[in-house]
Amino acid sequence: MTAEAQQMIEHIVQLIRKPGGTIDENTPLVSSGLIDSMALVDLLLKLEDLTHKRIPAGKVQPKDMDTVAKMFATAERVGKPRK
Amino acid sequence: MPRFAHLVEALHAAPGDKPFIAFWVDEDEQETVTFAEFRRCALAEAALLREVGLTAGDRLVVLMPQGIPAMTSFVAAMMVGAIPAFLAYPNFKVEPSKYRSGLAGVTANLSAKAVVIDEEFPEEMLACVSLGSETKLLRAPARANDSDASMPDRQHEFRHIQPDSLAFIQHSAGTTGLQKGVALTHAAVLRQIEYLAQVLKVSGDDRIYSWLPLYHDMGLIACFMLPMVCHIPLVMQSPIEWVMRPETMLQIISEYKCTLAWMPNFAFQFVPRRTPQSRWAEYDLSSVRLLINCSEPVRASSMVEFQRAFAVKSAVLQSSYAMAENVFAVTQSDIGQPSGPSRIWVDAQQFRSAHRIMPLEEGTPGALLFTSSGRLMPNQQVRILSDSGEVLGADFVGEIVVQSDCLFEGYYNRPDLTAQAIIDGWYHTGDLGFCLKGELYVVGRKKDLLIIGGENIYPQDIEEIVGSHPAIHDGRVIAMGVYNPDLGTEDIVVVAEVEHEKWLANAVELEREICSRVVAGLGVAVRRIFLKPPKWIVKSTAGKAARSATREKLLHEHPELNVEF
Repeated sequence: MTAEAQQMIEHIVQLIRKPGGTIDENTPLVSSGLIDSMALVDLLLKLEDLTHKRIPAGKVQPKDMDTVAKMFATAERVGKPRK
Repeated sequence: MPRFAHLVEALHAAPGDKPFIAFWVDEDEQETVTFAEFRRCALAEAALLREVGLTAGDRLVVLMPQGIPAMTSFVAAMMVGAIPAFLAYPNFKVEPSKYRSGLAGVTANLSAKAVVIDEEFPEEMLACVSLGSETKLLRAPARANDSDASMPDRQHEFRHIQPDSLAFIQHSAGTTGLQKGVALTHAAVLRQIEYLAQVLKVSGDDRIYSWLPLYHDMGLIACFMLPMVCHIPLVMQSPIEWVMRPETMLQIISEYKCTLAWMPNFAFQFVPRRTPQSRWAEYDLSSVRLLINCSEPVRASSMVEFQRAFAVKSAVLQSSYAMAENVFAVTQSDIGQPSGPSRIWVDAQQFRSAHRIMPLEEGTPGALLFTSSGRLMPNQQVRILSDSGEVLGADFVGEIVVQSDCLFEGYYNRPDLTAQAIIDGWYHTGDLGFCLKGELYVVGRKKDLLIIGGENIYPQDIEEIVGSHPAIHDGRVIAMGVYNPDLGTEDIVVVAEVEHEKWLANAVELEREICSRVVAGLGVAVRRIFLKPPKWIVKSTAGKAARSATREKLLHEHPELNVEF
């Protein structure tokens, strides 16, 4: 796992505040109800910071953000280098 | 503004080389079209729609991301006399199950002949688009070039479009339940635009800025049909991009020197709060002539917050009362008034117990402040009705009903809902308000009204007091009535998000403090306050706190409240 993915996981753990729970790169987040869709704006902005990319929000669908691994794949697919 | 028989004729008359739409993706990517280029694309797509068998009266659903291709598909349908409707394109923030059920219901009701989607439309959502055996699914129709040179000769192609035929269907805003398809004629839309152009003094020098979704009336009428008919340029971006980066709005207005924009009330707070204060002065909004607050009740405090942040003149910030069922605006504040929309302070006790307006001196302690939505636009009439349907005098609050020559034909395919909404030619808005000195003040939604021990309480008033507490995230408060069988009346229940999680440690003390503020401000007691962590409250796609969805969530988490709703 990359350091960025690890940072994202830590960010999500803070966000969901469920003690004892563990999440990894492939834990479903939205479809399992761990985070609600409204928290995704925050996660997308965090993803931009971690990847140094600008991600066109219009090209991102709910399924693209469901796991940490999918988030980074999405950033790779649709992100543009940030100036 | 010249009179046109239908919307396509208005586009047809536009000067070809004038810029029409600039679609702003980011600093490096913008797509632009002139009126001629837009016409060419729409004509080419109209030919394609004819080929697949679309004819006059057929419905076409446009399920495309916000942008120029979606807009050309919409106009192409009108060119063949068909009836287009924009539906919301899915984005990462939507709750997939809720989106799917909404999409299934709306598309089934429209029974469209064709549905236009883009190449990237998610397959898992497609299953929910109701496709009949005759329905054609068109993926990103080619935008081939048709010659604009022959445009003047092509008017005969549009001769079949009648002013009184349906131009399009726009869906009424709603966060839950099935959205209603508001059917509008070319003539009604053109009349509304004529009145807007006249009242707002729209000229060839104007340029509109918009982040508003095309499937809502503000985005569709004020920021697409108005510039198309008045032949003025429009700079737009996608709503989801704006929600992510509201500051881009300031960037675009400064860069393109836009002069006109509309926004719902919450955006007047959202933009300054999401823009670092250190950058406020970087933006130059001096080109803006009018920034119109148009949604639910207009809050003076929101307007002041925006004005202070970006140093715009009071006369720039104006207000309007609008709804899809009337094409768009019913009222507009006087744009010549240098201090902006009128304001009034009224006696709170009289307002709540007798539904009565008793004006007080400005700033009287305990007085309620309302901001006007302005005067009636031409050929609009408003009445204020009591619960029993009697017409009320100027100093009473009641349901706003509207009659005008812009009213809708009915809810598409739903005569039952139409009959409930239009009674004796008057459209019953479900909004509460009062008229004073020729101006309309909107105070809330009829169904949101809380009746506590015979007193009428407006949830917005409670929410404003709770939201003003520094520990509470302003705008993320919902007050609701919960029936108390022991008392036979409703109790007030409030759910509010704290600014920071750390506040939850002092929840009991905080709840007590907030309760006493509400009692001090409104004289009513809150039975329970539920303090929740940031991002708990359900928001609508527009970013506003969604009242009924939040209520459902609270009831789900706290079944003890679930006595009767």
